[in-house]
Amino acid sequence: MLEKREFDKSDFLWRLSSTITIVAGLFSLLVFILIIVNYWMIKRADPVNHELLTYLRVEYANAPEKDEALAQRIRDLDLITRKAFFTSQTHLRIGAWVLLGSVSIFLIAFKNMMRWRPQLPELADVPTADKEFLAYAQSRHLITWAGIGLLAGGMMTSYFSETALTAELLAQPAAAEGGAESAAGAGQAAAAVTAPAWDEMLVNWPSFRGPGANGVAHFTTAPVSWDVESGEGVRWSADLTMPGHNSPVIWGNRLYISSADETVREVACYDTETGDLVWKKTINALPTSPREAPDVMEDTGHAASTMAAHGDLVFALFANGDLVALDQEGNQRWGRSFGIPDNHYGHSSSLLAYGDILYVQYDQAVEPKLHGVNISTGKDAWVAERNKISWASPILAQTTFGPQVILASEQDADGYDPVTGNLLWSVKCLGGEVSPSPAYANGMVFVANEYAVASGVTLEGAEGAVTATVSWEFNELLPEVSSPVGDGDRFYFGTAIGDIVCLDAKTGETLWVEEVEDGFYASPILVGDRIYIADLKGNMYVFRTGSAYEELARFSLGEPAFATPAFMDNRVYLRTPEKLYCIEAP
Amino acid sequence: MRTPVAPIAAAAAFLVSTAHAIELKFAPPDFETEYAMPYLFIPPPDGRNTWWEALILFGALSLTTWLVFKARSRRGLFGVSVFSLLFFGFYRQGCICPVGSTQNVAAAIFLPDVAVSWIIVAFFVLPLLFSLFFGRVFCASVCPLGAMQELVAIAPIRISPALERVLGLGKYIYLGLAILGVATGAGFLICRYDPFVRLYRLNDNFGMLIAAALILLIGVFIARPYCRFLCPYGVLLGWMSRFSKFHLQIPPSPCVECRLCEDSCPYNAIDMPTPRHLVEDPAQGKKRIRGLVFLAPVFILLGALGGYMMYEPLSRMHPTVSLSERIALEDRGIITERGNLQADTFRVEGKTAAQLHAESLAIKEQFKTGGALLGAFLALIISIKLIELSVIKKRTIFEPHKETCFSCGRCYPYCPVEEGA
Ligand code: SF4
Ligand code: SF4
Repeated sequence: MLEKREFDKSDFLWRLSSTITIVAGLFSLLVFILIIVNYWMIKRADPVNHELLTYLRVEYANAPEKDEALAQRIRDLDLITRKAFFTSQTHLRIGAWVLLGSVSIFLIAFKNMMRWRPQLPELADVPTADKEFLAYAQSRHLITWAGIGLLAGGMMTSYFSETALTAELLAQPAAAEGGAESAAGAGQAAAAVTAPAWDEMLVNWPSFRGPGANGVAHFTTAPVSWDVESGEGVRWSADLTMPGHNSPVIWGNRLYISSADETVREVACYDTETGDLVWKKTINALPTSPREAPDVMEDTGHAASTMAAHGDLVFALFANGDLVALDQEGNQRWGRSFGIPDNHYGHSSSLLAYGDILYVQYDQAVEPKLHGVNISTGKDAWVAERNKISWASPILAQTTFGPQVILASEQDADGYDPVTGNLLWSVKCLGGEVSPSPAYANGMVFVANEYAVASGVTLEGAEGAVTATVSWEFNELLPEVSSPVGDGDRFYFGTAIGDIVCLDAKTGETLWVEEVEDGFYASPILVGDRIYIADLKGNMYVFRTGSAYEELARFSLGEPAFATPAFMDNRVYLRTPEKLYCIEAP
Repeated sequence: MRTPVAPIAAAAAFLVSTAHAIELKFAPPDFETEYAMPYLFIPPPDGRNTWWEALILFGALSLTTWLVFKARSRRGLFGVSVFSLLFFGFYRQGCICPVGSTQNVAAAIFLPDVAVSWIIVAFFVLPLLFSLFFGRVFCASVCPLGAMQELVAIAPIRISPALERVLGLGKYIYLGLAILGVATGAGFLICRYDPFVRLYRLNDNFGMLIAAALILLIGVFIARPYCRFLCPYGVLLGWMSRFSKFHLQIPPSPCVECRLCEDSCPYNAIDMPTPRHLVEDPAQGKKRIRGLVFLAPVFILLGALGGYMMYEPLSRMHPTVSLSERIALEDRGIITERGNLQADTFRVEGKTAAQLHAESLAIKEQFKTGGALLGAFLALIISIKLIELSVIKKRTIFEPHKETCFSCGRCYPYCPVEEGA
């Protein structure tokens, strides 16, 4: 009866096939392991992102002249990595075929081994029926335990996964619903944001150098003097751990600063009343963010651009070209990457928002641009082509011909329509590596730069047809980093070698020069009839506007000052490298 | 002697696909600009899911039925398996397969705006119908997943029947999860974690390829591990088969009780004759059954409670929930490393985190109900199994268990009874 079946007996064939089975099996296993190892090695070799190669490429790109030796080294290294990669790939393919062969031999031999095995299937001696019954009992037990295990396992998983995070998420349904609602209003697109009006901007400190970034404070009640050391006048202070040369911006009772080093980018929000940290958010890289950190000067750092606070949103731009919009709770609304700017000191131009547009002056060596970014979506509302590189920031001037965005670059000063981005006027009056931003007062634009000239540019004409003419030039003492400010009759600025200069706005005539202890990076701010300016040593000078220097106070901040303070009602907010201060008038 | 053509083909597919996978993993160069990598669109093969494919399915089912019942040819079934593997597996790339069609049908039932084409319905219903009349002939040699496993099951050993039954609970869990996934919009789990489809499509998911290789390797000794312990469609086929009007019998003519087939089924699918002597006091057996019936509602309630409590981890199978948690962790600075594709995509999409969290919370609510139903379902299954295992049916011959028998015909050569004997 058994002939019908596929079981035969042969010692020799059994031995032969089992030997082949074992050898082929071990061989297959070995090849399989080699293939896996090879796979991981290929993954690691990744010639596109080879570390040394990337490093050398950057080095080559940054070298002032073509370095042939370096280029050859890059070529050689590139060839080696590619060779290694493709050899490895070939090995993998060959390995796959070898494995296929050995697995086939293994399977065939194994099948034969089973066929020729010396014992034929035997009958068990436990009575069949009892076996079945015992199996039933055993099954019942095991299934019961499996059920209990499932229940316990499930409950334990749920217990351990009830994280603080979930509680936190559940705790914010109100905010969540609000978000969903406003999104519903805007259809599929991002929730539209209501832009604050100019009046509202005036009572806040929305950008670098205040509303419109023009260096003029609209509260005039700031304290004249204080002493950080003794704590006199200090309402609160907070310790800062991350570097960032940008100045604080304020909207309502919230103060925002950004900080960054090579790897980490952060935005922090403080309560202006108490100095408590409301939230701090690490800004993650975007999919299009550059992989390496940009090369920046230490004086510039990775977070030199001052943020813009604009109603419900705040914006931050970092040296790697990443721009993000956050809401007041620190939720990221959108983010985009402009790519590392081709800009050898690092990006320092600050942000400015007005109406629905955020102005990003991306003046770099190749394809400089002014981006008019829609605040709700992060997409460009318009882009204006620029001519030259610069490190200055845009300002918003409320001229008699309507608002204008005014920019300075290595070559010219330009006025743009803030809504359309159309160029309204442009004058070639600058030179060198421009870092001071323009100042505007009373129909006059003032631009200046070290190693070039300072110019008074008069704006005339009518709305939509503005002409700009250089009325006067001045080239004795010039600012290098610090931006000027105008009070309508005069322009004031601080130089990098330590002079405070006052020029007549109409004629450009020098009214006075005050030599002080150190040079200026921070910019002067006009507060009523007073001007505040801090030098690099950290001395604050407060003087009265006018045709002669009349010092009201001079005191030490206790730390060097790079950032420009923010002036609000009765208060001054100041960022030094290690601290954030709120000074309050008694 | 048969030559294992199909295992060789399967192994080849696996290996070649591994090499293929590596090419795809070779990262494209990145740009320091806003340039976005265009999406790779791979058009589906033409002529997918046409009526003639349903006809071929019908033909294969009919042929298998004939081979199982009339020809009683294990060799013939083997041949059909090779065909199914090549046609339904490699040529049609395992899609849509009846196993996966369960989800399409579930989607049409649970999601208001999802329709399902008649061809998908045909793929879903045909094997079930055949099962209802002839047992699991679909599993015997038509299912491309089953065929691949059947072909590699060269030296199957039998595992203990008790272990078999416990592991068999896996397919109910998988079925429950799959339907929960479809009903809550989390996606098609069965397809996402189908290890074999990667082989058919030479796909680039290294992890799943390894999983498929492992299942096939295990399958050499523990035959059809996916079918027995995981296949969600197998649950439905089993239910149908239970009521099958005709089902294969091991002997072609009356069983002579020679016990030669006793250990022949690697799937523990042969029911043996019941003891002729008393093995347990009948009163005790009855008491057990009464107790189990009485406790069943308690079990079900407990299961529902456990499932409800599980809503949190369960909800993570929904991509929106896992994305929302990832974003929340990133926003709170708890996760700082980047490179999560979904999170990065979300960041450029312009939706707010608050909106996302709100959606995620709504989905979690669904999982509360879904989790409770899943728990209750599993408890119900366990209760039924326990009761079933307490009922000792009178049986005098060796016969295949209608629910678990794959109609593979492996037991035929063991049976010495001749046709018409
Ligand atoms: S049990 Fe599932 S996977 Fe196995 S043959 Fe049947 S339908 Fe296919
Ligand atoms: S046909 Fe026979 S060997 Fe195959 S599953 Fe059914 S009982 Fe087991």
